Amino acid sequence: MIAYIIRRLLHTILVVFAISLIIFFSVRLTGDPVSVMFQAGEPTKEAIAEVRKNLGLDEPLYVQYGIFLKGLITFDFGESFRSGMPVMDLIKEKLGATLALAFGGMAVAIMIAFPVGIVSAVKRGTGVDFFGRIFSLIGISFPNFWLGIMLILIFAVNLKWLPSSGFESFKHLILPSITLGMILSGILARLVRSSMLEVMNQQYISTAKSKGISDFAVIIKHAFRNALLPTVTFLGLQFGALLGGTVIVEQIFSWPGIGRLIIDAINQRDYPVIQGGVIFLAVIMVAVNLVIDLSYTLIDPRIKIGGSRS
Amino acid sequence: MVQKVLEVEELKVGIKDEDGGKIAIVNGINFHLHKGETLGIVGESGCGKSMTSLSLMGLLPAGVERHGGDIRLGNLNFNSFNKKDWRQIRGKKIAMIFQEPMSSLNPVYTVGAQINEMILNHERVSKKEARNRALEMLKLVGIPRPEQVLNEYPHQLSGGMRQRVMIAIALSCNPEVLIADEPTTALDVTIQAQILELMKKIQDQLHMSIVLITHDLGVVAEMCDRVIVMYAGEIVEESLVVDLFDQPSHPYTKGLLASLPDIQEQKEYLSSISGVVPAPGKMPVGCRFAPRCSFAHERCKEVPPLFEMENGSRVKCWLYEDGETEVAAK
Repeated sequence: MIAYIIRRLLHTILVVFAISLIIFFSVRLTGDPVSVMFQAGEPTKEAIAEVRKNLGLDEPLYVQYGIFLKGLITFDFGESFRSGMPVMDLIKEKLGATLALAFGGMAVAIMIAFPVGIVSAVKRGTGVDFFGRIFSLIGISFPNFWLGIMLILIFAVNLKWLPSSGFESFKHLILPSITLGMILSGILARLVRSSMLEVMNQQYISTAKSKGISDFAVIIKHAFRNALLPTVTFLGLQFGALLGGTVIVEQIFSWPGIGRLIIDAINQRDYPVIQGGVIFLAVIMVAVNLVIDLSYTLIDPRIKIGGSRS
Repeated sequence: MVQKVLEVEELKVGIKDEDGGKIAIVNGINFHLHKGETLGIVGESGCGKSMTSLSLMGLLPAGVERHGGDIRLGNLNFNSFNKKDWRQIRGKKIAMIFQEPMSSLNPVYTVGAQINEMILNHERVSKKEARNRALEMLKLVGIPRPEQVLNEYPHQLSGGMRQRVMIAIALSCNPEVLIADEPTTALDVTIQAQILELMKKIQDQLHMSIVLITHDLGVVAEMCDRVIVMYAGEIVEESLVVDLFDQPSHPYTKGLLASLPDIQEQKEYLSSISGVVPAPGKMPVGCRFAPRCSFAHERCKEVPPLFEMENGSRVKCWLYEDGETEVAAK
């Protein structure tokens, strides 16, 4: 187990190195950052050269990359070209909001999708199943910008129950979480339903029923626990996606998250922020995957990590 | 007279078809089970033997239902049962073991947890007492190093061991009737013999009655006291095991026995019964076996009743009409 974790950590270092290469060189294909910095008037050549020198952009590329790598080791991504603030501080500032939104969306998705998926599977072929499947379809098909705007219209503008933008309190989290969670819950409910259906056909479900235990115990204790494995894999991958890929939702709700931070940085060719943000998300993604792989051993005893079957 | 534990009368099981009609899978069968007896139910796939056993547990699959007949266990009549009554019977009065030991245990719980679940569900005992009982049961079914096995998961055990665990679960609340649906079909021949021997041993110890469902006549000969032979949802012959092998009566039973290889006789081909079991809903008029029967005659266009033979066997065939007493089918 420990050997496995060490191996995975080494693997992570390789991944981060590869990403650093890709991100470093690809942002430099977007054009000269200095040219977009001067907004008024024609800058003099001296002025441009001065700025380039200050930002370290006058060095040869390999030297710049070397400096970037050296920073990585100490978790120092440099300073923003724009604000001059350390990139790490910028990320830290946004991390809370991003995590809150990711967890919020995830929680909404789980609260909706687990019951819907389970009931749909158990009542297969009935009206309840039909509505469950329609719900999934709607969840999958709704564009989230539309859903987000509708929610703002209804609950923020008309009813004035909830705030429409920013992140200052728990109340601010509700609408964006629902927007994010609804989309996710559509796919998740389908996944739960299909894995439940598969499990419900297994012989051990008949065994459980033949013991005379309640239907609830058969469904939750015996079937759902077994149906959980594919679900957890999916949730883990989605969690990673939620961290970086919620740009649209963050935009609609003016959410101060990492996704928006990176988008703004890209618009302004703020190299250090782009590099730092992307690397940070990559590391979190790899870490989440590791946690999920480890959690398999808790859910399914047949899976043993790093060892042979006994 | 030996006490009857289980009585089944005119049991009818059917599938609902699209027009709301019913297609019979089990068509009004009668049998009973004595205390301490092993009753074999034999027949080809699709003859209704598994559906019969599942209806005894109230566990018919979705879309299939019992729509007639009585099942009585002692003085309990299952017809009046609601969901809760069924749950109290399952495992406690009638327990069941299944065909596939590899998949009949839940992979995510330990053996101990799965036995405890049964005990705690039916008995008012503490967790510790349940655990001790589970340990006792594992010893009873001959599991080596039972203390460790309690904490092991099904995937750590072989098929034979898993079937022993299944038997331990089934017997942990001391049921009156054990239904064994092809309990050895998925196992190696040597393991089969061990499991059958174990079931016999425990039956003697606990004075339990067994309904053994199988298509293996060898298992029947080994285990059963009485046998019912089912064909296309009906009982075609019922007799003591000895009589069944000595003097099979129904042409179908004869066909089944003739298709067994014989160690003393060299045959180039094994004989077989031509044709297949008719599909539910497409049953022939009259005797259901007639289209495959080499003795079929005019009379077989009518449904034969069960005729009682001199030795007490009952046969559903017109060949035994003359000189035999007819058992009035209730």
